Amino acid sequence: SGQPPGKPELIRCRSPEKETFTCWWKPGSDGGLPNNYIFFYNKEGEDEFHECPDYTTAGPNSCYFSKKHTSIWRTYNFTIKAMNEIGSTASDSYYVDVANIVQPDPPENLSLEFEKKVYGEYLLLKWSPPLLGDLRSGWLTLDYELRIKPEEGQVWEKIFVGHRTTYKMYSLNPGERYVAQVRCRSDHGLWSDWSPKSYIKLQKDVRVKD
Amino acid sequence: CQVSLGDLFDRAVKLSHYIHSLSAEIFNEFDERYTQGRGFIAKAVNSCHTSSLTTPEDKEQAQQIHHEDLLNLVLSVLRSWNDPLLHLASEVRRIKEAPDTILWKAVEIEAQNKRLLEGMERIVGRVHPSDLGNEVYSRWPGLPSLQLADEDSRLFAFYNLLHCLRRDSNKIDNYLKLLKCRLIHDSNC
Repeated sequence: SGQPPGKPELIRCRSPEKETFTCWWKPGSDGGLPNNYIFFYNKEGEDEFHECPDYTTAGPNSCYFSKKHTSIWRTYNFTIKAMNEIGSTASDSYYVDVANIVQPDPPENLSLEFEKKVYGEYLLLKWSPPLLGDLRSGWLTLDYELRIKPEEGQVWEKIFVGHRTTYKMYSLNPGERYVAQVRCRSDHGLWSDWSPKSYIKLQKDVRVKD
Repeated sequence: CQVSLGDLFDRAVKLSHYIHSLSAEIFNEFDERYTQGRGFIAKAVNSCHTSSLTTPEDKEQAQQIHHEDLLNLVLSVLRSWNDPLLHLASEVRRIKEAPDTILWKAVEIEAQNKRLLEGMERIVGRVHPSDLGNEVYSRWPGLPSLQLADEDSRLFAFYNLLHCLRRDSNKIDNYLKLLKCRLIHDSNC
């Protein structure tokens, strides 16, 4: 007994550094039987279809494309085929350009330091780019966005800081404990997740007002 | 006094970043408003008028190409967009209920693309003067399709043009950032 498999669905594709990428799919119903999946793709300008080069690196129900198999600015066409002993079912066709699925890892090492200078007192936020990604050659360029709030507060203040990896904040409340995070994106791609939270407790006698 | 090559590249990268930002926005806005669910992406394959220009498609290829060749490629792609952007700015007005934001972006992209082309010609003039003569570019045959009576065909023509614009503006932006790091910062940005 049993049924043909349900239709699989492509749920997401992501490139963390515009050099490789991964796609994930969600299986349909299994029809009460063990199923196999084949991930087919072809690239813009090519007729023949290829099979996924690597089903394992990125975990179950995924296809990983290493540098060798990754082209930017060319549309990939994907189809996933589910099979069991009763029959097979193919997914819809999906179209992806790697240029449009770049989502970097979060920035690293966010630190908050209170600084007292001749010209004023401020909170200095510093962070570093994600480890994954070639910024040095200019292949990947990142914009950053900060968010900060009093730890007990509800509303985040968001600040877009462009390419910089440091930011001075002047308008804060003495004696308050603050929490901050930072994220990044490549050009006009997808924002990364927020970095882990960083905290600082300001002294009561600091003068951080504008 | 003469503007430094570094400043020329700074201006060019700011412009290319801005143009790609506008190109991504106008594509998304047009797609959301006019072409959702029409499956145009499947037809917009292998259909950019600039696909005859062989351009690097990954980091390795982009890093192996000589900077003069990459500069000339950028020039060729930019020149290939002069004509279509001119007509996009005028034809987009005929789209039914085209919002001002799409109209404004089409006009702004055309203007900024011209500025970037002028800037690039100055850069190439500095880096490799003898190359300025050869005006290689890809001709755009798409004006009649933007004026078709059949709405579906006409919308696809706009979709395809904006899809290619988003792609090519991203290429130009990426190549310029690479060139800037290579030529100005010794590949150590």
